[in-house]
Amino acid sequence: MAIKEFFIVLLGAAACIANAEAADADLPKFTFDGFGSLGASHSSMKSGDYVLDSSIPKGSALSEEWSFGNDTRIAVHLAADLTSKVSAVLQVVSEYHTPNTYEPEVEWANVKYAFTPDAYIRIGRIALPTFLNSDNRDVGYTYVWVHPPLELYRQLPISHSDGVDAMYRFQIGNAVNTVKAILYGENTLERENSTSTSKDMWGIFDTTEYGSTTAHIGYQERLAASENNQTGITGPWIRNSDLSVGVQYDPGDWFAISEWIQRKSTTKITAMYISGGYRVNKFTPYMTYSQNSAGSFLPGFPPPSANSIRLANRSQSAVSLGVRWDFMKNTDFKFQYDLVKLSDSSNGFLANVPAGVTLYGAKFHVVTAVVDFIF
Amino acid sequence: MISTLLLAVSIFASSAFADVVVIVSAKSTITHLTTEQTAKIFLGKASSFPDDRDAVPFDQAVGSAIRDEFYTKVAHKSSPQVSAYWAKVIFTGDGRPPEILESNAAVRKAVANNTHAIGYIEKSAVDKSVRVVLDP
Repeated sequence: MAIKEFFIVLLGAAACIANAEAADADLPKFTFDGFGSLGASHSSMKSGDYVLDSSIPKGSALSEEWSFGNDTRIAVHLAADLTSKVSAVLQVVSEYHTPNTYEPEVEWANVKYAFTPDAYIRIGRIALPTFLNSDNRDVGYTYVWVHPPLELYRQLPISHSDGVDAMYRFQIGNAVNTVKAILYGENTLERENSTSTSKDMWGIFDTTEYGSTTAHIGYQERLAASENNQTGITGPWIRNSDLSVGVQYDPGDWFAISEWIQRKSTTKITAMYISGGYRVNKFTPYMTYSQNSAGSFLPGFPPPSANSIRLANRSQSAVSLGVRWDFMKNTDFKFQYDLVKLSDSSNGFLANVPAGVTLYGAKFHVVTAVVDFIF
Repeated sequence: MISTLLLAVSIFASSAFADVVVIVSAKSTITHLTTEQTAKIFLGKASSFPDDRDAVPFDQAVGSAIRDEFYTKVAHKSSPQVSAYWAKVIFTGDGRPPEILESNAAVRKAVANNTHAIGYIEKSAVDKSVRVVLDP
């Protein structure tokens, strides 16, 4: 659905529901917030570009020495409380993406109907809560790293779905349990050479918070097809399923977090990371290990093409050391060093590697410095 | 020498921290809350008191000593951690932080007048209009 039509539907829905309810004295109430990051990274690997995901067309160090593409963005967030039960949000993000632009995109735009403070249904463009930090991964200020670990987070390039979701939160003793369900969703993702479309998306996600511990488990399914932008040929619809698990322990002075995902489409892939850090006044030094497996082809599909095999083989691991410094109100500075190792049979997730160049088993270094802010 | 140093440390510690207490209206039926129950209400993870009545929290100014002490003692979060927490909630559209009132007197007044309200103030600012439910 085109963004313009989408908004007309959204505003229409909001107006209908808003009219149907008695007005509160303080409502409607509008709030405006924003966030951003300015980050530069440099890689020692000259034969390819170190990019966070496939929507970023170029990076360091084949195309440029230093790149701002991975960790630079600015976003505005408009929220409207229309009645005590009906609210709407609009979040627009400008970040580097295909084809070579910072053109703003609508990340969320939805209307919420809250039955109680602990139960709602939303319609519109909605965050996908696949991982512990997937729905806030653009907001650098909310986490310790320069960006969430690449090897896991790029396994799911989709950050939102256009559709309907619902949430129900309840207390069990001292624990808070939150269930979210994607009831229906679709998504279109433009890459440099292809456009990936997802439909018939559904999922269920459960998060339990008990004391300093947060545990998250999610399962989602969608039908996905990829269209080749040059030939215009669209591949078959493939059922994708993702099972994700995450655990975080954060008593205040230190934290540990680990997440894992198993993706199934024509291949099966697993990815994980484990990270921990210690908070010393305004400084949080941390360390992360992350890796993904190569995809193993599942039975029941036609023999894969050479390109499918190349894509499925992509596997790498990284050890990262970094520090977050909360040097002023609502602003942080982060520095991170990554030692990346490509698998013995792939060029990992390096982009723009010239045809025929193999970097199998190569190791390289990446340094990244970021300032994150909220306003 | 060591005892002088300890004395200096303890004086520093007591002056750096105000003495925060959590209050509800004197007309409220709530008599006691745990740090966990209080943290959940102020972080938006619980919308009601343990007796299921709606809870309306009032915060104090960002950067104030009383606010920093409250979140350190009750939620084990520093000021930047609380800001980062709310950024995550706001930018995923899941909620809004509590309303901020600018002084102990303003919080006390708002809490005294509303049996659903909960706030935190300096212990020395407590009067008969409110009841202390937690002294963390």
